Amino acid sequence: MTTRLLLSIGLTVLLTMPAFGQDKALDPVAVKFFESNVRPVLANRCFSCHGPEMQKSKLRVDSLAGLLQGGKSGPALMSGKPDESLLIQAIRHGESLQMPPRMKLPAREIADLTAWVKMGAPWPNAKPTVVKAEAEDSEPVFTMAQTGHWAFQPVRKPKTPAVKNQAWARSPIDAFILAKLDEKGLTPAPAVDARTLIRRVYFDLIGLPPSPAEVETFVNEFASAKPQAALAKVVDRLLASPRYGERWGRHWLDLVRYADSNGMDENHVFGNAWRYRDYVVKAFNTDLPYDQFVREQIAGDLLKDDSGKSTDDRLIATGFLSIGPKMLAEDDPVKMEMDIIDEQVDTLGRAFLGMTLGCCRCHDHKYDPISISDYYSLAGIFKSTKTMDNFKVVARWQERLLGAVTSEKQPVELKSEQPKKVDKKAPSGPEAMAVSEGKATDLRVHRRGNHLTLGKEAPRRMPRVFSNLKQGLIDATQSGRVQLANWLTQPEHPLTSRVMVNRLWHWHFGTGLVSSVDNFGLLGEKPSHPELLDWLAATFVESGWSMKAMHRHIVLSSTYQMNAAYNEAAFQIDPDNRLHWRHSRRRLEAEALRDTLYVLGGNLDLTIGGTLFAATNRKYVPGYPNAMYDKYDIPRRSIYLPVIRSALYDVLQAFDFADPSFPSGERATTTVAPQALFLMNGKIVHDQTRLWTAKLFADKTLNDAGRIRRVYLQAFSRSPTDKEITRSLDFVERIESELTRKKTADAHAQAWQSFCRVIVSANEFVYVE
Amino acid sequence: MLTRRHMLQSSALGFANLALAGLLSESQAQPVPANPLAPRLPHHPARAKRVIFLFMHGGPSQVDTFDYKPLLQRDDGRPLPFARPRVVSSVTGNLLKSPFRFAQYGQSGQWVSEVFPHIASCVDDLCFIRSMHGSNSRHGGALLELHTGSDTFVRPSMGSWITYGLGTENQNLPGFITICPTLTHGGVNNYASAFLPAVYHGTPIGNASTASERATIPFIQGPTPTGIQRMELDFLSAMNRDRLTHTGPDAALESRIASFELAFRMQAAAPELQDISRETPETLRLYGMDNDPTRNFGRQCLMARRFAERGVRFIQVTHSYKWDQHDQLRRDVAKNALEVDQPIAGLIKDLKRRGLLEDTLVVWGGEFGRTPTAQGRDGRDHNPQGFTMWLAGAGVRAGLAYGATDDYGYYAEQDKVHFHDLHATMLHLLGLDHLRLTYRYAGRDFRLTDVHGEVVEGILA
Repeated sequence: MTTRLLLSIGLTVLLTMPAFGQDKALDPVAVKFFESNVRPVLANRCFSCHGPEMQKSKLRVDSLAGLLQGGKSGPALMSGKPDESLLIQAIRHGESLQMPPRMKLPAREIADLTAWVKMGAPWPNAKPTVVKAEAEDSEPVFTMAQTGHWAFQPVRKPKTPAVKNQAWARSPIDAFILAKLDEKGLTPAPAVDARTLIRRVYFDLIGLPPSPAEVETFVNEFASAKPQAALAKVVDRLLASPRYGERWGRHWLDLVRYADSNGMDENHVFGNAWRYRDYVVKAFNTDLPYDQFVREQIAGDLLKDDSGKSTDDRLIATGFLSIGPKMLAEDDPVKMEMDIIDEQVDTLGRAFLGMTLGCCRCHDHKYDPISISDYYSLAGIFKSTKTMDNFKVVARWQERLLGAVTSEKQPVELKSEQPKKVDKKAPSGPEAMAVSEGKATDLRVHRRGNHLTLGKEAPRRMPRVFSNLKQGLIDATQSGRVQLANWLTQPEHPLTSRVMVNRLWHWHFGTGLVSSVDNFGLLGEKPSHPELLDWLAATFVESGWSMKAMHRHIVLSSTYQMNAAYNEAAFQIDPDNRLHWRHSRRRLEAEALRDTLYVLGGNLDLTIGGTLFAATNRKYVPGYPNAMYDKYDIPRRSIYLPVIRSALYDVLQAFDFADPSFPSGERATTTVAPQALFLMNGKIVHDQTRLWTAKLFADKTLNDAGRIRRVYLQAFSRSPTDKEITRSLDFVERIESELTRKKTADAHAQAWQSFCRVIVSANEFVYVE
Repeated sequence: MLTRRHMLQSSALGFANLALAGLLSESQAQPVPANPLAPRLPHHPARAKRVIFLFMHGGPSQVDTFDYKPLLQRDDGRPLPFARPRVVSSVTGNLLKSPFRFAQYGQSGQWVSEVFPHIASCVDDLCFIRSMHGSNSRHGGALLELHTGSDTFVRPSMGSWITYGLGTENQNLPGFITICPTLTHGGVNNYASAFLPAVYHGTPIGNASTASERATIPFIQGPTPTGIQRMELDFLSAMNRDRLTHTGPDAALESRIASFELAFRMQAAAPELQDISRETPETLRLYGMDNDPTRNFGRQCLMARRFAERGVRFIQVTHSYKWDQHDQLRRDVAKNALEVDQPIAGLIKDLKRRGLLEDTLVVWGGEFGRTPTAQGRDGRDHNPQGFTMWLAGAGVRAGLAYGATDDYGYYAEQDKVHFHDLHATMLHLLGLDHLRLTYRYAGRDFRLTDVHGEVVEGILA
């Protein structure tokens, strides 16, 4: 893991500098000045780090040659030009370099050195200097280990391996899994029972539990001659349900750090971010092909539909680039812009490529074959894209009028006629956070990520390591986003399809075949089943990038339908279950847990889309919790609750909701006391169990045992055993008598509520097998 | 092998590692989940066991508090005789002298302005760093840089790093507590674990808009009477154990059983912890809790001592966003100082007499200082170029003034200390090497100090 790879070989060229050493010509006054006012300063202040013993940043200042040659940051001395000499900038403690680092020299010494440089830097007995300069920003040479890394090789659809247990290997997925298990002498766990299976499939595909009636129907059909057909029917029904997009769209929102406010330093309301969220839900529900989904998020504003028109949806899709957290009150506008671009490049890299491109803002990637100039080539594409209206303090992100782009005549004219008179605070119609083409510009490499130390120009293009892929030419008028989007989604791209099918696998099973879902680079984990990953990737592309097709492949496999039974021998060999010898038990995500509480209370509101966030767009979010929004107990699905950066809803946060400050393809699953405290004391737990209890009593056909049975069916999708019924009734009775003893008014109902509270706290409820 | 990160994610127990070993010994099959908050040995012997960070949000002016500048007093109204930074937050005019009188105090003869008479009486216990500097001239960026080391990206906060490095000593309480934190200028990101596991997230006790009297741990109280709740938990535990016989051994399920017991104990411990009625009247007076202007912050400081006593690793106390004197400098610096002066001095004295100052590191400061030049007639702009913070307690040289700004207090010039250096030094005092305290995330090993930071040897005792 930590093996350092050979990074780069800098190209060295010889530069001949004007030769110095006109010893004879030196003015004795100048020599005296140097010896009394300059050399001692250099010796006392600088030699310890930049002298014979140590050469920090490859710089020596104990000879004129050393100063002219310079170090990592380039020549330290420009004779006669103090303001342009790094030496002088550094001792002045200028912005990009401060030397000595912790102690500014006395003003006198600074003045002397400055005067000396100005007089031409006379240095007695200096030898003629031929400066051997490191070529500025030379491209690194990638090693075989880097370019040959598995993830950069083309996807080839492997043959399905032959396995003995053909009955089990229902799908090619199973054959790949079984082949590995066979290798290790492991056998797959038995098939799961129908009740556990339907609960698993419901939570997995729609994030909600099946109703008792749905469970019973499925159990009966699954027991018939064609259990897989029965399952396929359920899967199709769930995939066609709007609930599916609400579940799987939320996974995507984690990845694109979705939020309804900016967070960071100036937390402003993103009053139109929800349109992007609704776009994502719709994209999943309509099974928008993934390649198109990617293209729209990067360049939707530039894509035309079949009739040559743009659409609102595609414009909204570019919200992907805009909804990130931004430092809106950065006093340095250039830094602000580069930070925003960096956030875009980094999110794009992690979400679509599984690459950590952000590393290359300051230097060539330490592990992966991405250079700093590759980074600035990509960054140039976003520099040429307009995300922001301005970079003032406080800066303003761009929003674009909807409806305008669909009708071909209007938008351009409107804007060009009266750009100044339109009151920005009062848009003439609905708007979306969206980007547009900016002024096409190439960026120069920012050495050490600093915009004050610019290197050579990095023309807009795709990273060099993928040179065998097609890339469209970016002409001088374009940002290059269309080319980037097309480049990413060509079927031959080795990462786009692999990264996404691995995410799908991760969201279905809790662990990806590549467990580092956001990092396919050299420091990422190796795939547990490389052939299966490639089979899935190839199948994904063949299916027209259909996510629903992949869900069907996965859910209908035997691999998915194993039970979660413990097996001592298998556990010893593979404790993490990377080989899939059983199904891994998983805790409900925050949203599924909360939504189910509303299902049980019978008041879940299934309205789709729209915003619950009434706060004025761009308004400052004040510094107390729930300042802008305090109605989190509204019975809508959790995906529709506002996500306010810096004031996240505490219930979701307690259960490992993804931090919307950065892309996250993998949520943590922690078990911490605050979760228990929430279930013991949380308001919605009390409110919802009260409603649930009331519903149990509203059904007059139920007796006490019937109520216990109903509770078990609703919460666990199974009936209680006789012993469980007896024990539960005993518990209710004891609580009731205790409450009665304490003269509590509605002891009976409260005792049942106690029982319901225990049920939703139980492991069997909170975990899906 | 399970990686540490993976183990933390899949089986983090949270605040306690209860008797799981016994429960699991029957099977011997699954590894007992390591408790990510169990105390851990430091890299080298620690001088400090815990930190109390007194955060003055807004950017207190160094030249009106602890950084006495005779030339500024002399040259009031004259132009600044050197260049301003390239990037500034607002336009400022000529030099503006401090409206407050300075005097020297203690054996060490430290300069303190008249706004801090109580802190002045403690100067022999304090170690001033007069050469602090940061990189960002706005509150948001500067707060994030101070708390997380980055003014550009969301990173784990120092309290999270420290609890990640050392665990915590009281398993019935969170390891990282922040009392009345601000929710602006980065808000939660200033005490968030970011990519570190969530167990290292700071637990807020109230927030900047809550009176400290009403600040509590989230979800700590509910409507269910304790006796009933106990019966519920017993029944729950029975159900969960029953379930275990069905599932076979599962560390996550077992952790979850334990987490309810811990929650119940925390719930019982919390009221006692927040009940200050047993503190002596003398102690309450020491913190200024008998007076209106000091009552609120006094309680925060007293709470900090009570958490420190009980083994919480990192405690932050925030004096909310009041130190931003763009105008009304004379009035508001005095007013803010009045609110915190006695409580802070009370905390130092109380820690000292209880022997806690020996292994508690107290840190005081804001996100930046202010310009010696005037904004308007009676204000100063943000200034990250040079300002003062002070440390006290475990392992720092008491009675020292370290570093210096220029003659007017604008730029740090001598022995400059960046936030990264402060972080490296804090970790060092806690026994942690800032170069070795790393976490692998998104393909690289992150540090609190990123690629910067040097331990400030000159302030170590």
